[in-house]
Amino acid sequence: MNYARTSKLRVLLAVAGAALLAAAASAPVQAAGKVVLALDPPTADTNLFWNGTGERLPCFQALVGHDPITGKYNNSELAEEWSANEEFTEWTFRLKKNAEFHFGWGRVTAADVVHSYELTTGPDSTINSIEHLRAASVEALDDHTVVFRFETARTDYAFQHAGRGSMVVYSKAQFDKEGVDGYVSKPAGTAAYQYVERQPGAGVTFERVPDHWQGAVPDFEMLELRWIPEPATKLALLLAGEAHISDLPREIQADALAAGKAIVKSKNPAMSTGAIFNGMYGKTGDPAYRADLPWSDIRVREAMNRALNREEMIEILYGGRGEPVPSWLMDSRNEGYVPELKERFEGMYGYDPERARELLADAGYPDAFPDPTIPIVSSVLSGNPEFGTMAELLQVYFEAVGLQTEIREMDWATLGNLGRSREAYLISPVRNAPIRPTEAALVNFHTVRGTRYGGYESDMSEGLADKLEQTINPQERSRIAQEAFTYLFEQYADMPLAAVFAELTVDPTVVKDWTFPGVSTNSVSHYHLIAAAE
Amino acid sequence: MRRFLAIRFLQALVALLAITLIVFGLTHLTGSPVDALLPDDASQAQIESLIRHWGLDRPLHEQYLAFLGNALQGDLGVSLKWRGYTAMEVVLQRLPATLKLGGLSVLLSIVVAIPLGVVAARHRGTMVDKSANVVALLGQSLPQFWLGIMLIWIFAVGLGWFPTSGQGGLPHMILPAIAMASFQVAALARLTRSAMLDSLRSEYVKLARLKGVPEYRIVWKHALRNAAIVPLTYFGLLAGSLLTGSVVIESVFSWPGTGLLSIEAIRGRDYPVVQAVVILFAVVFLLINYVVDALYALVDPRIRRA
Repeated sequence: MNYARTSKLRVLLAVAGAALLAAAASAPVQAAGKVVLALDPPTADTNLFWNGTGERLPCFQALVGHDPITGKYNNSELAEEWSANEEFTEWTFRLKKNAEFHFGWGRVTAADVVHSYELTTGPDSTINSIEHLRAASVEALDDHTVVFRFETARTDYAFQHAGRGSMVVYSKAQFDKEGVDGYVSKPAGTAAYQYVERQPGAGVTFERVPDHWQGAVPDFEMLELRWIPEPATKLALLLAGEAHISDLPREIQADALAAGKAIVKSKNPAMSTGAIFNGMYGKTGDPAYRADLPWSDIRVREAMNRALNREEMIEILYGGRGEPVPSWLMDSRNEGYVPELKERFEGMYGYDPERARELLADAGYPDAFPDPTIPIVSSVLSGNPEFGTMAELLQVYFEAVGLQTEIREMDWATLGNLGRSREAYLISPVRNAPIRPTEAALVNFHTVRGTRYGGYESDMSEGLADKLEQTINPQERSRIAQEAFTYLFEQYADMPLAAVFAELTVDPTVVKDWTFPGVSTNSVSHYHLIAAAE
Repeated sequence: MRRFLAIRFLQALVALLAITLIVFGLTHLTGSPVDALLPDDASQAQIESLIRHWGLDRPLHEQYLAFLGNALQGDLGVSLKWRGYTAMEVVLQRLPATLKLGGLSVLLSIVVAIPLGVVAARHRGTMVDKSANVVALLGQSLPQFWLGIMLIWIFAVGLGWFPTSGQGGLPHMILPAIAMASFQVAALARLTRSAMLDSLRSEYVKLARLKGVPEYRIVWKHALRNAAIVPLTYFGLLAGSLLTGSVVIESVFSWPGTGLLSIEAIRGRDYPVVQAVVILFAVVFLLINYVVDALYALVDPRIRRA
C-alpha cells in the first residue's frame, strides 16, 4: 500500500465516521407529555425555599393563593380561610382538611405550618422580608388552625403567605424522619406537580401528581425547568424544539416570533419600571445627605423627567408593550391609588426638552454644582435585561438637554452594596416586581429603614410611611397612601416609566396558553395551568 | 534528581499559598455576598444577621486564616448559593462533566491537529499547507463563544444533527468539544508543522530517502516520532487551558461543569465555591506542571543539574 492510497482510505474512513456520528446524534430530544422551560438560572439553586430569594418551585404551595386572572388573594392553596382581629395583631389561618403532601407524607396540619415558619425565620434564612413574616408568637390552636400574634398591627400579613411571600409549607413528618437532607434530595410539597430530581446547575424536573388532593390535572405529565444562562442559547433551544417556553429577553423575542413562536403574558402587569435618584438621603440630620448633588435640586429632577421621551423608550425597551405610569410604586390594585396623577402626568412630566433646558438654566446647571456629572448605573438584573439599554437611553436624553453624564457599569449587588453603605449617589434603573403592596413599597423605597435600593427619602416620606404602618382603618390608610404618592409625584422623587407584563415566548405547537396573574416573586406561577396545544 | 523534585514541590506549595491569598483577596474585594444572595427587599436587620451567621463581620485576616486552616483539612466551607452542600461537594459534582468534555476536546485536538500539522509540513507551500494555515489562523482568532453559538445555529437549529445544549450522551458533547478544541487544534497543528519541518530537513530523513524507505514510513514513523516531542510538551498547557476554556464554552452550551459553576458562583458571590474552583484549577495546573518538570528532568540531565 503506498502513501497516496493510505491517505485516501483515511479520508474515506473519517467521512464515514462523521456520518455515523451525525446519524447517532440526530435522535429525537423531545419526550411526549413533557414541557420544558428554558429559564435564567435562579439566584439560589436549591430545594430549600428559605435559602433562596423567593422563587418558588412548582411543587410547593403557601397558605394563601391567587386568582390566576385577577391576582387577588383566594383560597386556592392550603388555607381555607383567614382573618385578623380588629387590631390586626392576630392573624388566624384555618387549613384545608384534605390537603396532602406528596410521596405519602400525610395530610397537612397546623404543625407543618409552625415547622415551616420556624425553618423560614431561622438564622440561615435568606428569604424575602422575613422581618415582615416574623411574628411575636405562632401557635397551632388545633390540627387545622394556626394563629400568628404580633406586638403591632399587621394589616397586610396575608401578603407574607401568598405568591410573593416568604413561606411555603414543608412536611414536618418528612423532616422528623429525614432531616433537612430529605428536603435536599426529595422535598414533598402539596402542589399539582411533585419533585422528581434536580441536576445541579442544569435544572429541576417535576411530574404530575396522580390523584392530586385538589383534583388538579395539569395538561403536561412532566415539567422541566432548565437553566440556560445565555439568551442566544435559549432561543436556539426554542427554535430547535428542545424547549417549549422561555423567558427570552425582549430584544430577541422578535427572532422567535419570526420563526413562528408566540408570546404569552401575565394577566396583569407584573412589574413597574423606571429610574430612581439614589442618594437622596434627605431626612433631617442624615449625614449621608448631599445638597451639592445636581438632583438634590427639584428643578434638575424635573428637567431630567422632562428630558425623557417615554413613548420612544417604551417602544425601544418593550416593543411598545408597556403602559406609561405616573408612579412606579403606585398601582390601581393596591391601596392609595390616585387616579388624578395619571391626568396630571403629561403636564408635569411630559416630554419637553425645551422646558428641561430652561429648568436647568434656572437651577444654574452646570456651574452651580461642584460635580455636575450625572452618573447612570448600567447593570443587568435577572428579569430585566433591558436595564443596560435603559441606562444608555437615559444618557442620550439627558445629554440632549445639556446634562453631563457618565455610564457606570456595575453588577446589581454592587449597587446594593453602595446603598447599604449609604453611598449610592447615582441614577439607576429600577423595578417594582411584582407590584408590592403600598405599605411595603413606601417603606422599602422611601425610608431610611428601607432596602438597599432606596430612592428619595425625606422627613415627609418617613412620616407618611410611619403613619401608614401604624394605621389600621382602611379609609385612613388609603388617604395616607394617597398623600404619600401625591407628595412623591410633586417632588419628582423618581422617573417612572412603564407597567410591564411578564412575557414568555412559547412554541404554539406545544403550548397553547398559560394563565398566570404575574404576582409571584419570579412573575410566573400556576404551572398546572400551562395548557397544551391540541 | 530528588533534590530537584523536592525544590519544585516546595515551589508548587508556595505558588498554591500565593494563589489562595490572591483568590481570597479578590473574591472579598468584589463585595459582600449578602448583596448578591439576599433579595432586594432584605432588611438591614436581616443583612446584619446573615453577615454574622456567615462570619463576614470578622477581620479579613482572621477570615483568611480560618479559611486556610479549614482548607488544609479539606474543608473549603459551605456553599452560599447551593444550599445543603459543601463548596467541595458542589465542585466535585460538576467536575466529571468538565473532565468528560475536556477529554473529548483533547482527543479531538490530537486527532485533528497532528495529522493536519504533518500533512501541512509534508506539503509545505502547497494549497494543502495554505489551507491548514488558514484553519489554524481561524482557530486561533475566532472567539470561542462566537464559534459556539455558530455551531449551535448551524448544526443544532439549522440541521438538527445535535442537541443545542445541556448534558447528556455523546451527541451533547460534540459541539462544545469542537468549539473548545478549535483553539487547541490551531496551536497544536502549527507546533506540529514547525517540528515536522525541522525533522523532514534532518540528515536521518535524507538518509532514509536515499535508502528507499517508503515516504509514508519516513513521514509518519521516523519524522513524526522525533517531531512529537514538541507538541507533547504542549499538552501540559493544553490540559490546563481546557479547564479555563470551559468557562466560556460551558456557559454558551449550558454544560453543567466547573466552568459554568465558576461563573454562577462569581455572579452569586459564593466565596467558598469560587475559592474551591480556583484552588482545584490551581492544583491541577501545578500538578501538571510538576509532572512535566519531572519528565523534562528525566529526559534532559542539564535541567536536573541546573
